[in-house]
Formats: sequence, structure tokens, C-alpha cells
Amino acid sequence: MTVLNSVQPDADTATVKDARRGRGHGVHYLLLAPAILLSMAIVLVPGVFTLVTSFTDWNGVAADPEFVGVENYAAILADPIFRTAVGNNIIWTLLFLTIPVVLGLGVALLLLRRPRTRGLYQVIFLLPYVMAAVTNAMVWLNMIYSPISGVIGFLNKQGWDIDSPISSLDGAIYAVAAVDIWHYWGFLLVVYLAALRQTPVEQIEAAQLEGANSWQVFRYVYLPNIRPTMQLMFVMIMIFSFLTFDYIFLMTQGGPANSTEMLSTFAYSLAFATFQFGKAAAVGIVMGVFGLVASVIYTRMSRRGMDV
Amino acid sequence: MKNIRRTLRVTAAAAAITLLAACGAGGEGSSDGREELELWFWGATPAQRAALEENLVDAYNASQDEYTLTVTFNERVDSNIQTALAANEGPDIVYGSGPSFVSPFAQSGKLLNLDEYSEQYGWQDRLLAPIYESGTVDGSLYAVANSINTVGIFYNQAVLDDLGVGVPTTIEELETALAAAQDAGLYPSVTGNKGWQPVNENYSSMFLTAVAGPDAMHDVLTGAASWTDQPYVDAVQMSADWYENGYLGGGQYTNLNFLESMQLLSDGQSPFFFGPTLAFQFAAEFFNTENGNVDDLGFIPFPTVGAELESPLYTLATTASFSINAQSEHPDAAAEVIDHMLTEDFMSTMTAQWPGYWGVPLAGVELDPAQFDGLSAAYVTALVDILTATEEGRFGYFTGTFFPPQTQQALVDIDTVWTGQADAETFLTGIETTFAAELADGAVPPIPAP
Repeated sequence: MTVLNSVQPDADTATVKDARRGRGHGVHYLLLAPAILLSMAIVLVPGVFTLVTSFTDWNGVAADPEFVGVENYAAILADPIFRTAVGNNIIWTLLFLTIPVVLGLGVALLLLRRPRTRGLYQVIFLLPYVMAAVTNAMVWLNMIYSPISGVIGFLNKQGWDIDSPISSLDGAIYAVAAVDIWHYWGFLLVVYLAALRQTPVEQIEAAQLEGANSWQVFRYVYLPNIRPTMQLMFVMIMIFSFLTFDYIFLMTQGGPANSTEMLSTFAYSLAFATFQFGKAAAVGIVMGVFGLVASVIYTRMSRRGMDV
Repeated sequence: MKNIRRTLRVTAAAAAITLLAACGAGGEGSSDGREELELWFWGATPAQRAALEENLVDAYNASQDEYTLTVTFNERVDSNIQTALAANEGPDIVYGSGPSFVSPFAQSGKLLNLDEYSEQYGWQDRLLAPIYESGTVDGSLYAVANSINTVGIFYNQAVLDDLGVGVPTTIEELETALAAAQDAGLYPSVTGNKGWQPVNENYSSMFLTAVAGPDAMHDVLTGAASWTDQPYVDAVQMSADWYENGYLGGGQYTNLNFLESMQLLSDGQSPFFFGPTLAFQFAAEFFNTENGNVDDLGFIPFPTVGAELESPLYTLATTASFSINAQSEHPDAAAEVIDHMLTEDFMSTMTAQWPGYWGVPLAGVELDPAQFDGLSAAYVTALVDILTATEEGRFGYFTGTFFPPQTQQALVDIDTVWTGQADAETFLTGIETTFAAELADGAVPPIPAP
């Protein structure tokens, strides 16, 4: 009895705690419900629909698509335009993982030493990012690349025999990427600058007192502090690069001769020009797989305690 | 405080009721008791929109008191309509970018069979037979074209005069003029696909008509010949040769669009702009009375290649088409609006204000260019020639009008041959595979005999 008596209050306490925990979990689920329902409605349901469509010959309007197994996947894998698109997406990813990152981080470091004017610089560098993609694309197409009204045209009239890079099979992808990088790097600058400014002043001062030079302060003080931000942006850039659509569509629509075709523009063309929604869905699934890989990397980083 | 809260609640409730009432008004009927009738249209310029509003919307709305027609202009009308029709929604009158666009919708039951209206309004007798036929699916009418169109050559007479050459009527004369322009440091011709890759189909169609000819094209589109046969290879190869030597696009093909090409033509930087007659709608900005150069602009068909082909030939195309949504609650009114657009009066009025887009394909119509001013006169001159050639069977086939969707899209990739990514034979082997599959699926639109 003694034992029982001694145990009984603990059991009661545990029951009460369990009940409270249960109620707490219920509230948690209730609070999470809108987000989960929203995600299911606008992500999961279309995602499953896309997956199912990728195994059919749906033309986008018919009510009775037929199941075709993995035919769509086999067809797109055999299509040279698909292979070009995958290659271009990889090039695009590599470009965005290097150029705007180096540029953004470098300028952010420079602006650290300009506390009074860095606000103005940030606004200036962020301007392309807040402008509509169509505006940026038109500015570059007509004021830079155009052989009539652009810088290229001006140089041609001065006797410089320069072809517009947008018309080159080898150069068009870089010409479009240049515009998107110009539009995007200011955003990275702002993010990196914000992260750099979170570095504890004591650590910086301690390093400087120890005689560390600028590179050493960056390498051993700033970099460890902004690493989580850099890792997050690394993953986000990977995801965005495989989904990129706007600048390619606005400037080249995948041309010339499919040389700037991306998975997204290829899927768009299959769906809206040739009524092959099944194949377009298969391309979409492939794009999703790349995004999923990046998401898994991000999740693993988070679990390792990277604080991202 | 309580009063403020109560006031806020009453205000919010009133706003919600007003909003719901407003939503309701936009649904079935408008506040004046009329039913809504919708047409989604391509995103035209403000001046073009005004012309359509005046001559179609205002005219129709004033002609009766049961319906209010509204036109929504949008650059992405094709994909918008595709999405809407898939969801059994969308406008009453369905704008389409050609019959090959219409076929999948008709086969999926998204469009109304127009045979009854055709009989009621006499459309079959009124429209040119090949154009009427191009709007049929499995023998029934589902779409009517708003305008006939062809791909040919805009020329600047002043530049030709400076070069000392006449308006070319044969392929040899054209090549001489192109070479003369090149030697003079001009662009031999201008055109380009900047911003719109499907522009390529104008030139695949043009060279197939001029080199392979109507009979060979009819054969291949009906499955009686193979795309890898010599006439088609020759056509694609000639287009590639011209692209390479600058005769097609002057080396700036990917940097130019139609508007810029027209500008270069008016600036005297090239004697020729290869393009569709619908490009007349871009010409007014550069060839006008203010610039004093309206009479410099002319249009000629692209000359045929080889003595065995009739000349001149025209690549037969339509600018757009109109259908009726199967879900429309007012199909009779929609048909009435379409019929309004298929009249000589409408064609004349619209052409006077918007040359290039409203060459209604009417049979037996006698247009007098002298009754039109400025560019409209030049357009009507070209239009009369196209209408006559169509009635006489001197026409080839535009990919966007007569080809099934996947073959049409595959021919947009003709620039892979132009840029040396593929040779003509390999390219056409791919076309043959794509076309054979679509022919077997019954996706090829009706092909009128020349």
C-alpha cells in the first residue's frame, strides 16, 4: 500500500501531464492546420496531379487521358532538347553559385566599412531586384544587346564589329544569365551584409588585437559567423536555378536554335505549344527531383546543427 | 470605444455586402439587365483596341439590348484560353491562333459545333473554301478565321531606286537585289524572331511554298509523300543557305522583331523585310504622312523557285480564328457577334483603321484599293492579290494554319538547320517521325487541295 500510495500521486501527476501535453499537442496541431491545409491544397494536390499526369497522354483539355506508363519519361530522356535543357540548368546553377555570391559577398565586405553610406549603396544595388523582370529584360534587350538602339549597335556604328551575344549559340545563355545575375546579386549583397553585421564586435576586436589582418578577420571571424546564411543561400540558389524561367522566356524563349532552353521553358513549350501536358508534367517532375535533392541537403545541414 | 467598434463593424459589414453585390453583378447579368457576353483577345496596341471597341463592341452593343459584349485584351490569350477551357470556363467567344490550335479543343468537346450557325448565316458560301475548310474538324465547322494572311516581301521603293534595281518578280531578280544591298553595306533583308520564337514558322512555310510548291505540300500533308523527299530537303536547305549568307535577316535574325525590322526598312537600312501581311499593322508607325514615305512601302509575294511551279504563289495563312465555347450560355449571341466580323463592311472599316489584321477571307469580294488611304490602300492591294490567288488555287500552306501542333512546333526549330546544329535531311527525318505519329492520331487538320 505504501508503495501504491507513493506511486499513486506520481501516476496522477503523469496523467495530468499527459492530458496537458495532449491538449498542448491538440492546440499545436490546430495552429498548424491552416499552414498544412494550405500546403496540401496548393502544393501537395497539384504535385500529385502532376505526378499522375506524367504517366498519361493528357493534352491539357481532354477529360479521358490514357495511362501510358513511363512513355513520357522515355520520350523526354531521348529528346536532345531535354538534354540541352538539363545542361543549361547545370550551367545556370554553377554561374549563380559563383558570380553573384562572390560579387555580393565582396561588396558586402566593402560596405561594412562604410557605415554612413552603405544604406544608399544597398538601395542602389537592390534596385534591379525590385524592378519587374520584364522591365529588366526589355532594358537589356533594347538598350544593351540591340544592334539598332543598344550599346552593341552604337559600337557597331563606331566601327567595332561585335555581334550581339544574345544571337550567339554559345554566348546566349551567358548573355541572359548576365541580366539575371545583374538583377539578383544586389539581393545577395543585402543578405550577406545583414549577416556580416550580426558578427559580435568583441570577436572582431579580439582578432584585431591579436594582430589578424583583414583576410584573417574575414576567414576566421566573419566567415564562421555567416556560414549558416551562406549555406541557406547556396541551397536556395540551387533550387531557384532549376526553376528559372522568367528571364529566359522574356529574352530568348529558349532560342536561338534551343541553345538557351531550360527545363522550365521546355515544359512550357510542350504544354502550351504542342498540347503535350503529359510530357510537360514529366519534365516538371524531373525539375522537382532536383529541387528535392537541394531540400534534402538543406534538411541535413539543419539537423547537423548548422542553425540554418 | 464601444461606439468606435460598432461603427467599424457596421462599416465592415456594409463593405462586405457591397463587395458581394459587386461580384454578383459581374456574373450572370449586368446592372442594366443585359447579359454579359465575353471575348478574350490578343493584347493589341491602344489604337488597335480602340478600333475594335468602336467597330465591334460599341456597334454590337448599340445594335441590340439583350447583351453587353466585353473584350478583354491579353498578350497571353492562347495559354489563358487553354487553361480556362480545360476547366470548362472561359469566354463565350474563343479566340484561337489558327485552326491547328482549335483541333484539340474541338476533339475534347470544349468548342461548339458551328454547322448550324454556318447554315443560318451562310458562312460556307460567304468564306473562301480553303479557309472555311481549315476551320473544320471531322467535317464539322468549329472555327472561322478572322483574316487571311500570307508571308511575302515588304519593300522600300526609295531604297530600291537608290540601289538601281526594280521590284523583283523572279527569284533571280530578288537575289540580284539582295546582293546589291549587301554590296552597298545595307542589310540584304530584315526580319527576326526576337521575343517570339514561332516567327520561324513564317520562313519554313515560305520556303516550302516557294521551293516545294503547292502540289508537293498537299502530298506530304496528306501522307502521300515523305518529308525526307527532295523537294522538302531543297526548301529547308535553301532557307539555311539564305540565313547563312545574310539574305534572311541580314545576320541579325535573333536580334530583331517585326517592329524593329519595319523600322529598319523605313530608315532605308534594307530594301526588304520578309514577313507576313499582318505586319502591315506595325508599318503605320514608320510609314506615314508625317514622314512622307507612305508610298514607298509595297508588298510582293515571295517568288517561286524553278520554272515548273506556277507564279506567283501565296502561302495561305489565317491570322486568328473565332469559335464558341461549348459552355457558353449565349451561343446564339456569340454567333451573331462572329457573323458581324465576317462582313465586308466590318473588313473595310477595320482595315481603314487597322490594316493587316482584318482581311476577312470573303469569297467573291471586290475591294478597290483606291477607296482606302495610306497604308490601308497598300494592304488592300496585297489582300486583293491573295484573295484572287486563293480562289485560283495558287497557294501553299502555312504551318500554323494547316499543320498539326507538334509538327508545327518541330518546324519552328528550323533554326537548328540555319545555325548548323543539324543538316536538312536529319531535321526532316525528325519532322517525318513527328508528322507520321500525328497523321496516325488523326491530328492533321483538313488540307484543301490547291
